[in-house]
Amino acid sequence: MGSMIEVKSVKKAYKKRKTKERITAVNHVSFTVNRGEILGLLGPNGAGKTTTIKMICGLLVPDEGTVVINGYDIKKERLKALRHISAVLEGNRNLYWRLTVRENLEYFAGNRGFGRKDIHSKIEELLSLFRLKKKEHELVNNLSRGMQQKLAIAVAMMADTDIILLDEPTLGLDVETGYEVRELLRYITDKEGKTIIISTHDMPVVQDLCKRTVIINEGKVVTDEQVDNLIKLFETRAYSIKLRSPLSDNQLQLLQEKIPMHDYHDHMLEVTLEQDDDIYILMDILRDKHTKIEKMDRTTVDFEQVFMTLLKGEGYNEKVLSSH
Amino acid sequence: MKKFFHLIKANIKKEYIEMKRYWPNTLSMVLTIYFIFLAMFLGIQFVGDPNQADTNIQYVIVNYIFWYLTLITLQGPGFTITLEATRGTLEQLYMSPMGVWKIFLSRQIGTVIIHFFIIVVLLFASMLMTNQWLNISPLATLPIFLFTIIGMIGVSFIIAGLAIIVKQIQAFLQIMQFILMALTFIPLSVAPFLAYAPFVKGIDMIRQIMIHNMTLADFTWLDYALLIASAAFYFAIGIFTYLRCEKIAMEKGLLGQY
Repeated sequence: MGSMIEVKSVKKAYKKRKTKERITAVNHVSFTVNRGEILGLLGPNGAGKTTTIKMICGLLVPDEGTVVINGYDIKKERLKALRHISAVLEGNRNLYWRLTVRENLEYFAGNRGFGRKDIHSKIEELLSLFRLKKKEHELVNNLSRGMQQKLAIAVAMMADTDIILLDEPTLGLDVETGYEVRELLRYITDKEGKTIIISTHDMPVVQDLCKRTVIINEGKVVTDEQVDNLIKLFETRAYSIKLRSPLSDNQLQLLQEKIPMHDYHDHMLEVTLEQDDDIYILMDILRDKHTKIEKMDRTTVDFEQVFMTLLKGEGYNEKVLSSH
Repeated sequence: MKKFFHLIKANIKKEYIEMKRYWPNTLSMVLTIYFIFLAMFLGIQFVGDPNQADTNIQYVIVNYIFWYLTLITLQGPGFTITLEATRGTLEQLYMSPMGVWKIFLSRQIGTVIIHFFIIVVLLFASMLMTNQWLNISPLATLPIFLFTIIGMIGVSFIIAGLAIIVKQIQAFLQIMQFILMALTFIPLSVAPFLAYAPFVKGIDMIRQIMIHNMTLADFTWLDYALLIASAAFYFAIGIFTYLRCEKIAMEKGLLGQY
């Protein structure tokens, strides 16, 4: 599987208007995106995500490093590279609010050099896929935020490029529309085989859609890893156990000695095991007084927790080392 | 070439849709031009030497038409950049593999065609209304008009380059109205050095045809050489300046800013 996007050690610094001080927004960031891959680009506000996206789009020229799109260096062969990319950069602001849904699709297609006849069937397909057919003659100004967002993605799809860049595609959407947009994005990757980069704060979107994630903080790549691997790395051996009878003093003493990371109150025992085998020790302690277990759950970890831990710089390297 | 044709078509259609959709605005613009024409036809005879009234009317009308078209043409891309940067669509235009200068060029072509059509219709309506007729020979005026517009478009790209970097150019555009007025109203016989200024030569040649009943055969090869060289020079320098400014904007991250 060849690389569609190669970001090689890009650096971008801006001069502050008032103080003239140079701020490094992106500092030697490198990653690649393979054909058909859907990559999550994550990071807190001001981390350098949008600057990175804009350098990939050719809207910003990197101070150092290169961005190669399907073999074309975006700095040297910008227009050739742009034949392979479309983007939704500012969501609904990327549209002409005084034109209708259909007119927007036709206009942006015309701006890429497509004739009206060439795109007729594509427009019909997109209107139906994005459930905008009933609104095709409605001014964008009169559409809901969710519909505007869907139209912005449809406009990007209209370009029929291999790569789509989405900056905050679910920002400001209600739960239902957010879900609908997510399903559309899943369809685009599964059925159309597009290569997609999603820059977002919406962790369920990443966990749900992205195979891989690049996390940027303070202009640098903190992590470039498969989403599943990250979750596995951060999975804890933590259990929540509801007991039918209270623990004896002796059992509590044994717990203190053998499983120090525990918390016990009101028949609820919370434990974090250091090793997998410690589960047998825990069972032995409970069996000692025939303590019955009413319910036992393994505490799960979601991507948001992983993301926050990584941003704080806690334990990633140790976890990677121990996993090898 | 086919792609560029589709690009022009898409931009003419957009311009037309917006004019039609916001018809009160369009109507007020059309009526303003119409009443200005009527005022010129009916009012100028009361100003100045009555023996020169016909020449004065023709002179002022031809100058007004060119001043209007020059304003529309020169402000086009600069105004588009400012407006699209405010709306948030500018960066989306920059994502087109056609190149933004071609998008702006196609918009310019659309704007000129539509406004030229409006102004010609209104001019004929005014002539019919007042029963005063200018010598309008399309075969003689159109080729010269074409080269004149090419030079104007070139200058409009210099302004667009400025707009892409500083964005807020409204004050500059206001001052420019008066500079343009001077360039369109002052005849070359008064200030011959203005022949090297953008589009002045073309306007002067059209004035000669419309007011003094000259034909294309009456001009010398030097007139044509100057007309074509001026158009080519200002168009080339306009595109070059714009592309340089675009590069600076991309390096400094100014494209999406307003």
